[in-house]
Amino acid sequence: MHNNKLDILVLLRETSDPRPPARVTTRGAAISDRGLRRVPNPADLAALEEALLLKDNLGARVTVLAIGPERLDDTIRLAFSMGADRGIRFWDHGLEGSDAVADARVLARITKILVPDLVCTGSRMADRGDEPVPALAAAAVGMPCISAAVSFTPKNEWVEAERKSDRGARQTVSAPFPCTVLFEEVRDPRYPSIEAVTQSLNVPIETWDLAQLGLPFWEIGAAGAYLAVADYGVPRPDPVRVVTPDPKLPAFERILSLLSGGIKAREGKLNTLSLDDTAAGILRIFSEEGLLVERA
Amino acid sequence: MMFPNLFSPLKIGTVEVKNRISFQPHLTNFAVDCLPSERHMYYWGERAKGGAGLIITEEMSVHPTDRAYEKLIDVYHAEVLPGFKKITDYVHQYDTKIFAQVNHNGQQCDGMISRLPVWAPSPVPDILFRETPKEMEPEDIEEVARYFHRSAIHVREGGFDGIEIQFGHSSLARQFLSPLTNHRSDEFGGSLENRMRAPLKFISAVRKAVGNDFTLGIRMCADEMIPGGLDLGQVQEIGAIFEASGLIDFMDLSIATFYNLYLVEGSMHTPLGYTIPLAAGMREKLKLPVFCTGRINDPVMAEKVLAAGQADMIGMCRGLICDPFLPKKAFEGRMDDIRYCVADNQGCIGRMGVNKLLGCIQNPAVGLEKEWGEGTLEKAAVKKKVFVVGGGPGGMWAAKMAGRRGHNVTLFDRNEALGGQILTAMKGSGRDEFGVIIRNEKEQVTKAGAQVKLGVEVTTEQVLAEKPDVVIIATGSQPKQYPVGGADGPSVYNVWQVLNGQAQVGEKVCLIDYDGHHRATSTAEFLADQGKTVHIITSSLFVGAELGPTQDLYLSRQRLLKKGVSFTPDIAVMEVGGETGAKNIKGFNVYNNVWDEWGPFDSIVLAMGQKSDDSLYTSLKGKVPELYRIGDSVAPRKVDMAIWEGHKIGREI
Repeated sequence: MHNNKLDILVLLRETSDPRPPARVTTRGAAISDRGLRRVPNPADLAALEEALLLKDNLGARVTVLAIGPERLDDTIRLAFSMGADRGIRFWDHGLEGSDAVADARVLARITKILVPDLVCTGSRMADRGDEPVPALAAAAVGMPCISAAVSFTPKNEWVEAERKSDRGARQTVSAPFPCTVLFEEVRDPRYPSIEAVTQSLNVPIETWDLAQLGLPFWEIGAAGAYLAVADYGVPRPDPVRVVTPDPKLPAFERILSLLSGGIKAREGKLNTLSLDDTAAGILRIFSEEGLLVERA
Repeated sequence: MMFPNLFSPLKIGTVEVKNRISFQPHLTNFAVDCLPSERHMYYWGERAKGGAGLIITEEMSVHPTDRAYEKLIDVYHAEVLPGFKKITDYVHQYDTKIFAQVNHNGQQCDGMISRLPVWAPSPVPDILFRETPKEMEPEDIEEVARYFHRSAIHVREGGFDGIEIQFGHSSLARQFLSPLTNHRSDEFGGSLENRMRAPLKFISAVRKAVGNDFTLGIRMCADEMIPGGLDLGQVQEIGAIFEASGLIDFMDLSIATFYNLYLVEGSMHTPLGYTIPLAAGMREKLKLPVFCTGRINDPVMAEKVLAAGQADMIGMCRGLICDPFLPKKAFEGRMDDIRYCVADNQGCIGRMGVNKLLGCIQNPAVGLEKEWGEGTLEKAAVKKKVFVVGGGPGGMWAAKMAGRRGHNVTLFDRNEALGGQILTAMKGSGRDEFGVIIRNEKEQVTKAGAQVKLGVEVTTEQVLAEKPDVVIIATGSQPKQYPVGGADGPSVYNVWQVLNGQAQVGEKVCLIDYDGHHRATSTAEFLADQGKTVHIITSSLFVGAELGPTQDLYLSRQRLLKKGVSFTPDIAVMEVGGETGAKNIKGFNVYNNVWDEWGPFDSIVLAMGQKSDDSLYTSLKGKVPELYRIGDSVAPRKVDMAIWEGHKIGREI
């Protein structure tokens, strides 16, 4: 730790809200953009919060890094409004079609340039779970890496972190600086004030490109990737369990279970009623079917 | 898009199908000289035009000993090729894939047609064909496998996109798999491994013929539903072995055997989607695309099944016979225009069962797509003023067709709602869904531009005063007033009065069934449901004599017995009524002519036939330029003829 002030690099990534259903594009190898809600990865924001707490308590310099196109500027501004000091966005079109190893080269390179004491980010992505890039980058740089951290205390020459272990146990580990810590989603990120948000709009964001990194193009993106995408699709859903006839039952009981257990037939009931009675009848059917909730 | 799952593509083997709707294999009786016919081409073509993603043809016979029905395509003859090419080319122009189904029916065959012994794993006669088969020798099994091979080559050369082998309710393969029909002690019987030997031979023969770049699947019987037969647990195991063999690309499913044919072709009394539990059960164990068929007649339900992952492909059969354009309408969100199948079974299975051409009570164009299919309706040369009297199914169809052709149509009905006799028929126990026919047509009548006047009793004077060019009489029929001596006595009612609630029916009821159809049995059930003690006397050999072909008989009788209804068959009833409390039914046995008496009953319900309501026709005869009558007002028949004649007259005037 130089001059008693931590230098923290926080990697912020974008993810999509996993709640709305995603759809695969018919031809291409991708998720269709339609209906997709892009959000900053919640675990990354938790890591940022952890870094900002260190800044508040011990005094630290927090740099946020986002790798991606221009829309990620919004994420960086969010970080500014929360209290980050410096924002860097790196993007090159050559990054497309990349895999984890090629991405890790980029992150490792940026880490080498910035020389932070701590690299913080989320341990998992909200949509797909594990993400090996930060750990691979740590390995490439030769840093220790603490994954699944739930709490974190910097000591003088080393860090101590509690992390998730087998069967819900907690393990306390320590590592020397510089070090990568991957946080679980344990902290709620702070809610920036309106003034902070306004101010964040004027803070300049550094944009870096491939030339500034000094990486050859064949080491990144599709050219640098070891993996090739052959096929892309959503695994077919498991059947919603319907009660299948128990094979141990005699055949005639199986038939009865099929004939009684199915979905109710469409009914062609015809009622000739007055307007009010019809309305009341429709309401009754709706509430029986659970389509209407009576207001208290 | 209302149905994202239903209209998502699916890769089956080497073929990509544009949506999840498959027009499932079924008999049509359209073959001519055991070859594919033009009728086939237009029939399947219409469903392709209607937007089905996949069509699987009717079963085609792979061997001379397989002659279950007179009019099957003999796919083992090379002469089928020109017909196949015409069919597949025609279907392909609508971006629809077509698979051929090949089958050997085994014991479920008729030696009376082929004049050859029936072949089966063991000499066990089928319940329906009742012919003791020849136990197949190993050479016979080899021969059938060879014929499968030869047939598969014809299928591929004929331009089909895939081939399906029938392992379902009616097939030699199932008979080998099932301990019920396979009693062999050689290498083809006994253990599961042995029982699977012959079916695997058939599959490998077909795979060898079509190569690895062609889609091949089987239609498996998911549960034989008979004691001693295959159940879902065993079929899951068998299916997993077939999948592991790597020879098949998809798993189509069927259910039951000829012991319980009513489960194969579930009638109105079976719940919608009754086979979903079986499909879901199979899909749990398999990675192959699994098909689900069985009363899934509407896209909403199909979408639910797909979204729940209970099947990968929805098989529709009757749903698309009834409305070939269901997929297209669903895709365009025109749900109001879909004509839903009601599983009445009279037109499709009922006609198949008596060896007639395939039909549909609600779709007269079935089998006549060339003449009556989509796009054949031409505007009328002369615009006429048309009166249609009677808003039953026949009248609605006449008004709809005439309206679509540009005539100025007015449809009259004496009731406050359209539907005619259906309004009464749908009140019978379990016959509610019959009312969907009204829902299907009512909107279409107004959409066709016809004016509907309800609650109007049309008189001769009124017609003559308004001077229409054409009058179509569709006034239907009514129960015969005096079908038997004493019918005018106290507490004697007809089925209409009972179903419409106009009768004070006592606790002990006797129903006289000269009808043999739902009119009698559903009324008996209707009464039994009210807690009454019902006895049925019929002149037929058994109660429900007409319900056999539509597969309603078994469950109808089961329900009647369960509800405590008792039967006396073989009796010609000569007199009813007389004093209440006396033995008030008199009749004689039609076989030994011995007279007997039954009673006492509190009420007597007569299902003894209808009489045409032709009074308006008779009084208008010769007084209007064009006068026609259709449906029951000509002669009391069933709903299929009313719709047929309504459709025909609407096209012709």
